[in-house]
Amino acid sequence: MTEILKIDSVSKHFGGLMAINDVSFSIIEGETLGLMGPNGAGKTTLVNMITGKYLADSGNIQFMGHDITRMPAYRRCKLGISRTYQIPRPFPELTALMSVVVSALYGKDRANQSLEDAATEATHYLEFCGLFSKRNVLGKDLTLYELRGLELARALATTPKLIFVDEVMAGLNPDEAYKAVRLLERAKEEFGVTILWIEHVMAALMQAAQRVVVLHYGQKICEGLPQDVANDPYVIECYLGSCHV
Amino acid sequence: MELEIKREKLVLRVGTQKYEWHIEPRYWRNPFIYVGILILVPIAVYFLYPQWLPTVIDANLLAAIAIPLGWMTIGTGRMNFGPQFYIGVGGFTAALCSINLGWPPFVTLLMAILAGLIFGLLMSPLSIIAGGLYYTLLTLLFPLVFLEITFIYTDLFKGDTGLFGIAQMVNVGHFTVNQFLICLMSLFMMLLYMFIVDKIMRSKFAASMAAINDDEEVAEAMGVNVKKIKIISFTIPAVMIAVIGWFYAHYYGTFSGVTYLPLAFMVKVLLVSMIGGRVQIYGNVIGGYFIVILELFLSSVLGEYSQVVFPIILLILLLTLPEGLFGLYRKRRYREYLPTLHVRR
Ligand SMILES: Nc1ncnc2c1ncn2[C@@H]1O[C@H](COP(=O)(O)OP(=O)(O)OP(=O)(O)O)[C@@H](O)[C@H]1O
Ligand SMILES: [Mg+2]
Repeated sequence: MTEILKIDSVSKHFGGLMAINDVSFSIIEGETLGLMGPNGAGKTTLVNMITGKYLADSGNIQFMGHDITRMPAYRRCKLGISRTYQIPRPFPELTALMSVVVSALYGKDRANQSLEDAATEATHYLEFCGLFSKRNVLGKDLTLYELRGLELARALATTPKLIFVDEVMAGLNPDEAYKAVRLLERAKEEFGVTILWIEHVMAALMQAAQRVVVLHYGQKICEGLPQDVANDPYVIECYLGSCHV
Repeated sequence: MELEIKREKLVLRVGTQKYEWHIEPRYWRNPFIYVGILILVPIAVYFLYPQWLPTVIDANLLAAIAIPLGWMTIGTGRMNFGPQFYIGVGGFTAALCSINLGWPPFVTLLMAILAGLIFGLLMSPLSIIAGGLYYTLLTLLFPLVFLEITFIYTDLFKGDTGLFGIAQMVNVGHFTVNQFLICLMSLFMMLLYMFIVDKIMRSKFAASMAAINDDEEVAEAMGVNVKKIKIISFTIPAVMIAVIGWFYAHYYGTFSGVTYLPLAFMVKVLLVSMIGGRVQIYGNVIGGYFIVILELFLSSVLGEYSQVVFPIILLILLLTLPEGLFGLYRKRRYREYLPTLHVRR
């Protein structure tokens, strides 16, 4: 039970809005941690802070013994933190293969890797995500489901230890959503990554996550086993929309 | 460092880095034809219409500016509208060193490179701080400010008359032969730039540049050191363009800000770059020839009005031909060989 990531009372505000207010929790190596919360709770902001898009106003973030609170995003990636985006952000003018090649080349400092080696490696991740036949399709021409796969392939190609998955099921039909969730499970088995998974669909997290953290108005209101969280009266109240912090 | 020759590629290892370089002869035919034609042009012009040699030189030099500009645009993910600033930097450095200190061209070349490096490095943070239209406007301003400065410090820069008496690049005592040699040199320069930039566009470096071009934030999240790559791909093209400024100074023997720094010259360069395309830079040469011929034609037909027509053509091309003429050709004859880059801007 080693902690891979430790967040210690981080805060972030945008103007007058406290998007994240004094949140602390840690992620244990090998687990799937669910992160829930109503719209605007600050889930994406938290991920942005850990992956380096925003710097925390206060608090401290530790990743595998490194203090990454003020580290630039690309170095956090090289340390082993990767992510997918809630609204997929492919490289629109790059082919699926080339987008993954970028991650394979730069996601980690690797010795003796030429462009072609990276392309070979990227092929493997594309195939894993079921996108091999789409390797020469431009990012802007892929469907939403394919984009989710591409985002995952791109994230995996950086050989991460910890992946932040920002909503895989949103916008997909039940069949595709099921496949996307399966893909995530397989990625976990095959590459041994730790996952922080943001999702609105409670049922999915109940199944996949070992622990769940709930955010509300930027504050952590609950943390624990999925079934405990689901039965927590305060959480239920927040999801029904009648509680105030 | 270790070089290994395999059947179809060269493998270069430097430290922990590995670079591969395809040398399959079956892909050599088109480049050979292309370069062959380019070398034939000045020879044919020399024997048939020697009075057209300056036009050919102009075309080559315009292309030689547009090629590094393409690299700069891709690597920083932004349109630089002031490439002529570096022409000014290189040209004035060469001119001042040559006139005031009497240094020969190859020494002033080093000084021009140095000046380009300094100004490139100084201005490269712009590509990190400023984005989109602001960047474009700021880069547009710099050459105009430079032009003002040449007028303000006119005893140094001779803003009104231009600098005279710069040492000639070659002098064999025969005017047409001189021009022919300079023409060959301009061609060599352009081909060298094309070779360098083409190699870079097929390297690992290009993959990161294309990612930056599409989405900087995602590129950074995927481990690309965006700032470093932007600074490199701002500074080196700036130096390459400054060297062309040096070439202009020693080719004409005079150098004045009014010739290169105003918008009219910028529009010509950008037109070449628009027509040529920015990743597939081979089209820049055609763009260069096209523009000088168009310029001759328009100024003989429209006179002063050609100054107005050029920007309009630029605007139309900006909207309709994002990948240049060569992009059109490539769309029709699409062949996947190595992973190919497409670039938005
Ligand atoms: N760059 C920004 N500037 C200003 N406000 C922001 C910014 N990013 C996020 N916010 C605000 O911070 C709050 C939290 O946003 P965030 O995107 O983290 O929510 P979320 O939990 O991911 O919601 P959702 O479930 O809709 O994805 C929101 O009120 C949002 O408007
Ligand atoms: Mg969100």
